[in-house]
This record gives sequence, C-alpha cells and structure tokens, in this order.
Amino acid sequence: MSSTTAPSGLSRARRGLAPGGSGASPGKRKSKLSAQTTRTFFWLLIPSVVLLVLIHGYPLIHAAVQATHDGDLLQTGNFVGGENFAAVLSSPAFWKAAQFTLWFTIVGVFGSWLVGLGLALLLRTKIPAGSTFKVLLLLPWVVPIVVSSTAWNWLVATPDSLIPSLFRSFGLGTPLFLADPTLASITVMVFKVWVSFPFMMMMISAALASVDTTVYEAASMDGASRWQQFTQITLPLIARSTYISWILMTIFCVNDFPTIYLLTGGGPVSATTSLVVLAYRTVFQDFATGPGVAIAFVMTMTLVVISVLLYRQIRKSSVE
Amino acid sequence: MNVQPAASKAFSRRGFLGLTAAAASVPLLAACGGGSAAQGGGGAAGTIKFWDMPWATPAYNDAAKKIAEGFSGANNSKANYQIIQWNNFYQTFSSAIASKTGPAVSTGGGFQAFQFEQQGQIAYADKVIEKLKSNGQFDDFLPGVLDPFKSDKGYVSVPWQLDMRVFWYRKSLFEKAGVSLPTDWPSLLEAGKALKKVGAFGFATGAGSGNNYGNHSMIMMMVNNGGGVFNKDGELDLLNDRNVEAMEFVLELVSNGIVDPAAVSYTTDNMSAQWKDGKAGFGLFQVNVPQRVGDTSGDLLVADPITGPHGDKATIVFPNNIMMYKNTPSQEASEEFLVYYLGQLKELWRQKLMSALPVFKSITELPEFASDPNNVKIVKDWQPIAKTFASQGNTLNANLAALDGGQALNQFSQSILTGQATDAKSALQTFQSSLESVLKK
Repeated sequence: MSSTTAPSGLSRARRGLAPGGSGASPGKRKSKLSAQTTRTFFWLLIPSVVLLVLIHGYPLIHAAVQATHDGDLLQTGNFVGGENFAAVLSSPAFWKAAQFTLWFTIVGVFGSWLVGLGLALLLRTKIPAGSTFKVLLLLPWVVPIVVSSTAWNWLVATPDSLIPSLFRSFGLGTPLFLADPTLASITVMVFKVWVSFPFMMMMISAALASVDTTVYEAASMDGASRWQQFTQITLPLIARSTYISWILMTIFCVNDFPTIYLLTGGGPVSATTSLVVLAYRTVFQDFATGPGVAIAFVMTMTLVVISVLLYRQIRKSSVE
Repeated sequence: MNVQPAASKAFSRRGFLGLTAAAASVPLLAACGGGSAAQGGGGAAGTIKFWDMPWATPAYNDAAKKIAEGFSGANNSKANYQIIQWNNFYQTFSSAIASKTGPAVSTGGGFQAFQFEQQGQIAYADKVIEKLKSNGQFDDFLPGVLDPFKSDKGYVSVPWQLDMRVFWYRKSLFEKAGVSLPTDWPSLLEAGKALKKVGAFGFATGAGSGNNYGNHSMIMMMVNNGGGVFNKDGELDLLNDRNVEAMEFVLELVSNGIVDPAAVSYTTDNMSAQWKDGKAGFGLFQVNVPQRVGDTSGDLLVADPITGPHGDKATIVFPNNIMMYKNTPSQEASEEFLVYYLGQLKELWRQKLMSALPVFKSITELPEFASDPNNVKIVKDWQPIAKTFASQGNTLNANLAALDGGQALNQFSQSILTGQATDAKSALQTFQSSLESVLKK
C-alpha cells in the first residue's frame, strides 16, 4: 500500500475525511458541505437583504423610474430615457449649484476640520474646566438646526441686527450678510463650519486619546520640535480618523439641505443654491419631478466616486 | 511604520462601500420619499377625513376642529380633523393620495385643487354649488370670488377665504416725513424719497427663505399697470409693454433706495419686524397686519389703492379653497360636509381667528369683522379690484402652483430687488424662458 493510494489517518483528517471512509468521494463531501454553508448563509442574509431592498432598493428603483419619466409625484408619465439627465447637465443652474456645492463642501470639510483639530489639541492640554468647555463646544452640533439658523438669521439678517451693527460701530459700513450674493455664500459656509466643527473635534479627540504619550516623550528626547512632533507624529497617527471624518463630512456637506435652506432659501439670486437645494426646489416648487430626481442621482454618483477615492487614501495610510 | 490600532484594520472595503452607498443615497431617498402625515386608511365608514392647514394661530385650528367634529350627516356620517403642516405639504398630500390614505375634503395650497384635478383625483363641486344656491349661500359670495374655480368640467373647488395683498402704511412716518399718501406711481416715488430721509422704506417687501411677498409685489405692480403674467387667453405673456413699464418703475424705486437693500433676504418674520420697528413706511402686505406684527396702536393703516400710469387700479388675491377628493367613503357625505363647513365659517371670523378676508358678504358685516376700519376698507376698496395670479386671464390652473413659489419668479424678484437686473426687459425675458421650461403645455 503506497502513501499515494492509502493516505495516513492524519492526512485524511486534514482533508476532512472520516477514518473508515473510502476516500473515493472527498469532492462530493466538500461540495455537500459548501451547499449547506451556502444555504445557511442565504437564510441568515435574508433579513438584511429584505431590509436593504425595502429601505434602499425600492426608493432607488422608484427614483430611477421617476428620473427617466416626465411624470409628477402621483403619475409616472411617459418614458423619456436620458432626457432629464441631459436637460439637467446642460442647465447653467445645475453647474452654478454644483460650483457652490463644491466650495461649500471644501470650506465645510476643511474649515470644520481645522477648527476641530485646533480645539481638540487645545482640550488635550490641561486647561481649567476642560470637560465643561468640551460640552459647551458640542452645542452647535447638538442644537437643532432650525433653532441655530433662526439665531443666525437674527444675528445677521437686517442692517440693525447685532453683527452688522457691530461692523457699523467699528466704522466698517453695514454689510448685508444675507442680501449680498458673495457675503451670503460666505455666511452660509461659516455657518456650516460653526455647526460642524464639534463633530470633527470629537473625531480627532477620540483619535488623539488612543495615541501613546510616550511616543512624544521619545521624540522629545530625540530633539524633535513641537512642530515636528505635530507634523511627524500627531498628523500621521490621526490620519485614518481624519480621512474617515473627511468622507463623512463630505457626505454631510453635499447632502446638507436645512443649513442652507433655512438661512437663505438658496438666494439671493441662487447664490447659495446647492445641488440638494436645487433638487428640492425643482421637485417641490417647480413640480418637475424627473429633472429633480435626476439631479439627486448625479449627486449620489458623484458622492460614491469621491468616497471611493478617499477610501483608497485610507487604505494607503494604513499601509504606510 | 503602520501606527494604526489593530481594531481599525477590520474596516473592510465592502463594509465601507455599503456604508458610503447608504449615506450617499440620502438625497435620492429624500427626493422620492413619501410624506409623513398619512394616517390610517380611508377612515371609518361614513367618516369624512378633513385635512386643514395652520392658517393662523393654533386657536384657529382648535376652532376649525370643533366645527368639523360637530358635523353629523344624514346617514349619521361624521368628520374627523387633521392638521397638515405647510412644510412639504404637497408631498404629504401626494403620497397620501397615491396610497389612498388621503383626505376626503381638505384646504391646502391655493392652486392645489387644480394640480390634483389634472391628476384625476378631484371630485367636482357642482352639486355643492347647487346646494349653496338652494340654501341661499350662493348669493352671499362676494362678487367674482367663485368664477376662477369654474373649469370646463365643473367647479374644481369652493373658495372659503381671500388672501388679499394690499398696501399698508405707518401713519406717523408719513407725518414725520411731511408727505402725503401716494395715489399713483409718481407720488409713490416721491413718498419713498421723503420716507428715506426719515430712515424708512417706501416699498417694504421681502424675498428671503419662505417669503413670497417680494414675488407678490412684482406681480402686483404688473397687474396694477394692466399687465400680468398671462394674456387674456391664458398664454404666457411676460414681455408685454405694461409689465416692462412696471418693472422699470420698480427698478427705479430700487435705484433710489426706496426698497430696503436687505429686503431680498428677509423672511416673513424679518419683514414683520421691519414693520414693527418703524423701518417700513409703505408696502404690500396681507390682511390683519397690526395683529401680525404686534402693533395695534392704530399707527398701521390700510392705504388707498394706487393708480397706474394708464389709469389701471388693481391688486392680487389668492382665493384659498376647499376641495373634495374622489377617494372618499361617500361622495354625498363629502358634499354634505362641505356645505355644512361653509355654513359654519362665520364662527372663525366671529372669534377673530382669521388673517384673511371672508368670501361671504354676511361675514364682512359681522360686528367682530366690521369694527376694524382696516377690514372695512379692504372689502370696500381693494376686494373689487383684486385679480388672481392668472391675470390677465380669468381661470385658475395647475401651472400657477409652479409660478407661485417656483424658482423662476423667485429669481426674477430677487434679481430686481438686488438691482442685479439693470434692464427690465432682459429680466422679464429670462423670467419668461425659465417659466416656459417648467410650465406644462
């Protein structure tokens, strides 16, 4: 009996064969096992799949139908193929909104990250009542956006509001923060940074908390300056959290409807109309469902692409 | 050196992509998602579902609920009452109607009945009108308020209140400025210049988030000059000479500083505050402004209508209406309820809960309504010259919903109020092109 025709008990066991088995049908046994496993996986997955289909699949399919038809919220209308997408992509209003969305997102993501990073580093040092400050700094994120936008409106809306009055008292004129297109854009972006920095602060604080302080002590003994410690140790150590927070904040900014709509309604003269505001106004104010949903589709595709690119950056940072 | 904690490596690509796709789908879900208000099915047998909007303070809805729930029909049919918020109301109605959980009778947006009529969801109100004729209420309607609701197929809905746009002024500011009330466009310009010298604005308005008074001011000035968005045949006609002339005049008001440069961003609350704080001297507003802005000292008064350069005298009105839907437990009960409800409307004005004009003459004669000289002036001087958004046409239609509150009119108004539009004709041309792309043929 050669070893090739009669495998030892140990090798049979490794191959998953019973000791007394013929060994003639190991493939069969394996495939039977796989089928069982597959069935188990299938039944275990069913609840999640059903939930996903109900929550995401159905609306997505319904939206796809709306985007390719000329109907309204009640009636599907006629199939128009890619006409709605073509109309949207050739519309100057879409590109103006896309441009504003881009700036809004860049300022929203990096502005809130910078402020959040600064405060997270500050709160890491031993300052009196640090925990109280942390809670207070969370307020812009915690307070409902309806309340904070109303507060901001009253701070800047009229020439006699607090902030324009302060400017006037310093001899800086009376800026119309919401009525001037450029100032309105800046105001909305600053508002977004104000609302979002607590989120960034918490993300970065959590990342910083996991960093071993002995790393800094070692670096300090090696003669690294504060700046070198920050750029060579702190930033790389929180890189992964940073990229994840950038992805999430990008999604928050692109999808942000209330911050803009409650403060400016997208005006003046569309200066602060983002893509999501444009989609809303197209569907619910112009009652043009197809083009409005087409805008939402374009936004979604863009977000997925951006997210995948940033995710690759996360993997890269992990490898490094 | 990989300095990441081990736990974070468990973050898989698929998991991440799934999360990302889910989060990124939010705009799609938001765009096609249903409303939130639908409750139950078609209601219990014989129970009419009546949906109403927050037309005034919560006390209004309490009173309206009491009226609705006091209904008892011939076959022992009843009615229940539900408030629908203005936020996303069209979506709320649409999704409820699509799922057959909508109301049998409702108030709603000014042109909502025509939108749902276009979609085959509205039950015509001709039998209600017949009943109103037989019970005498038909003759009680103020002149002209019913006509805009009559289509080729029948009455689409029945008006119940008039959201009128009239000029208001602050008496003390005119006295301080030493100028008379404007009677025509040149005197409006002169009054505006005089008011500016005392720190007030002579064409108060607002076009910020959710505020349509700026839009209404533009259309009102067109109509006041014998123009309008549509011609007599109901076709889009923004570039007519009267409209161009009206918008040139508004641009003149803007360039003279008679319009508040910040008005373009004013919400209705900001605008009310400007009236209360004595910054607004003269401007277009609704009924019951003193109560709305919180100044009942008698200093805020309704002005006379002003005459356009060609002798025209007009304003705009939004006749809010009650509609019936085909999805009802009993069409007879819906009609019976509507007739009953119209008959009880006087109670809302008797309790001084409304910020709009009634449609019935008898209500305008109630002491609670007629004791306010502003109300009397609006009924006497403004209601007879009021025209709808369909002007110069006569019949309301679904397209007006996309005009009122739509992006085209809003951008046009804002471009005029900011002075970005330096040429009225070009601004109107852009407005016309934008409207053409959204109005259904």
